[in-house]
Amino acid sequence: MKNRTLYLGLIIIAALLVVMAAAPQIAPHDPEAQDLYHVLEGPSEKHLLGTDDVGRDLLSRVITGTRPTLLIGVLSTLFSGIIGVGLGLVAGYKGGAIDMAVMRVTDAFMSLPVLVVTLALVAIFGSGMQSVIIAITLVNWTGFARIVRGEVLHTREFVYVEAARAMGASGLRIIFYHLLPNVMGPIIVTASIAIGGNIMIESAVSFLGLGAQPPLSTWGNELRIGYAYLEVVPLFSIAPGLLITLTVLAFNFIGDGLRDAFDPRISQTFNKSKEK
Amino acid sequence: MKRYILKRLLYSLLTLWLTSMLIFAIARILPGDPVQGVVMASHMGAVDNNVIEGIRAQFGLNQPLTVQYLIWVKNFISGDWGVSIASGEKVFDMFMKRLPITFELFVCSVLWSMLIGFPCGIISAVKHGDFIDRLLSAGAVLGLSLPVFWEGIILIYLFSVMLHILPPSGFVPFSDSIKGNLLSIAMPTFIMGTQGAGLIARYVRSSLLEVLGQDFIRTAYAKGYSEIEVLLRHALKPALLPVATVAGLTWGYVTAGSFIVEYMFAIPGLGRMGVNAIFSNDFPVIQATLIIVAINILAVNLLVDLQYGYLDPRIRVQS
Repeated sequence: MKNRTLYLGLIIIAALLVVMAAAPQIAPHDPEAQDLYHVLEGPSEKHLLGTDDVGRDLLSRVITGTRPTLLIGVLSTLFSGIIGVGLGLVAGYKGGAIDMAVMRVTDAFMSLPVLVVTLALVAIFGSGMQSVIIAITLVNWTGFARIVRGEVLHTREFVYVEAARAMGASGLRIIFYHLLPNVMGPIIVTASIAIGGNIMIESAVSFLGLGAQPPLSTWGNELRIGYAYLEVVPLFSIAPGLLITLTVLAFNFIGDGLRDAFDPRISQTFNKSKEK
Repeated sequence: MKRYILKRLLYSLLTLWLTSMLIFAIARILPGDPVQGVVMASHMGAVDNNVIEGIRAQFGLNQPLTVQYLIWVKNFISGDWGVSIASGEKVFDMFMKRLPITFELFVCSVLWSMLIGFPCGIISAVKHGDFIDRLLSAGAVLGLSLPVFWEGIILIYLFSVMLHILPPSGFVPFSDSIKGNLLSIAMPTFIMGTQGAGLIARYVRSSLLEVLGQDFIRTAYAKGYSEIEVLLRHALKPALLPVATVAGLTWGYVTAGSFIVEYMFAIPGLGRMGVNAIFSNDFPVIQATLIIVAINILAVNLLVDLQYGYLDPRIRVQS
């Protein structure tokens, strides 16, 4: 039953990837072409979603906005994942003082909501796509670190790890050849949900005008400009927002679906009780 | 229990200490020299280097970093949080003025999310696998995936632009008009509580499902209790225990959401203060905001841990 939402998520993301790759071909108009005689128009045959404040075709702009939006989500997840997984592996495998130190620093980072620190960091680094990616990376590795550490604490007790150690495998080898492959499942689940979360943060930062700067246009940027004209052309802000929501939803669906696939415990325990 | 409380308290303080160093570090990597900036602004033009050095000494900025950190902590504890660069107001006074407004929003948002989350989660678990469960579960994920600003836009369009029921922005103090106050916080609190509601619904569902799979529930059914009786007398209490943890998470979501929501709805609270400070690079205010947020989250987590240990003796013994 859960698989259905997993497939739904995968289909949405696949569609977005196609749109991203083929954006120049799909976009009905040049996303930068201004037409000052037709500004802030509602949907028409020529402009399916209408036009923005300088007469650019909204549909084309939303289509070309797919690329930077997904890119920020994926890259910041990739970078924070590398930091978090690395720290989690070391903390979980080494244990003791190192584990203690890493986890306390993780706690410290977690006591600040990602959005809040990202905003503060963007204020320091200056606004822009790179700043957003750096800021999210610096704050958002904590989720990976905690999950990986927890999994490693459990996995390292297995006999095959002991066997590897007995055969003289080095710490690095055990970490990369024996522990990492076994914690890949939770990492993928965390990454999928993190991509959605990071896109949400990027959009929020862009909504405040501190994200990627023109000419680069993410959905969050479109939404911010459109918000000013909410009463005139509601689609201007509602359409990019819908895409953000759909994307985040799709990544959450994928994360949940994969988690259920990796860990079918919950549905099993319930079936047991139904046999009453 | 005393030992447990002490241990948790020490843990929180340790984390707060690390967080404060983190925030201090963020402060120091800010570009530009704060003293030069302030002096230039007040003197309009060239300033003698001796004057700058004098001010530096006055604020302790010529001291080593560790001493600076200690001075900063000492000042913070004694209520001296610096002065806003943008308005010249004392940051502590700004904070106290806005605290009640944000606190009202927070409490109402958490109430909202519980009011929606609990029933949805319970129904979902009881009707496990049914259409209604699938609908509610998908709804919970949707709630978690809705960006606050977009939900804000949709609700403003619906209730302010089209229906003219709710004000699109602004805040009416409780003391001015109770009705006006409630109307002005209706949309903001609903939006701030949405993600929490989704989170709570999911936790309640999985927690209740786990309890429903245990032997004592089967025993209760075998004794001939009806489904409602089993739920009320046996399943709900143990199932809702772990949900306390979510209350802490929900508080975190509400905190993050307040920044966007207060900005969107022009509510003069702490979130808006923080966003405006970021816009104007008002460093003392940004710094204070970060510390307040950290204390706020750590305090709630501590409370959650404490009541969890109070309700579930196993946790006290384990740690």
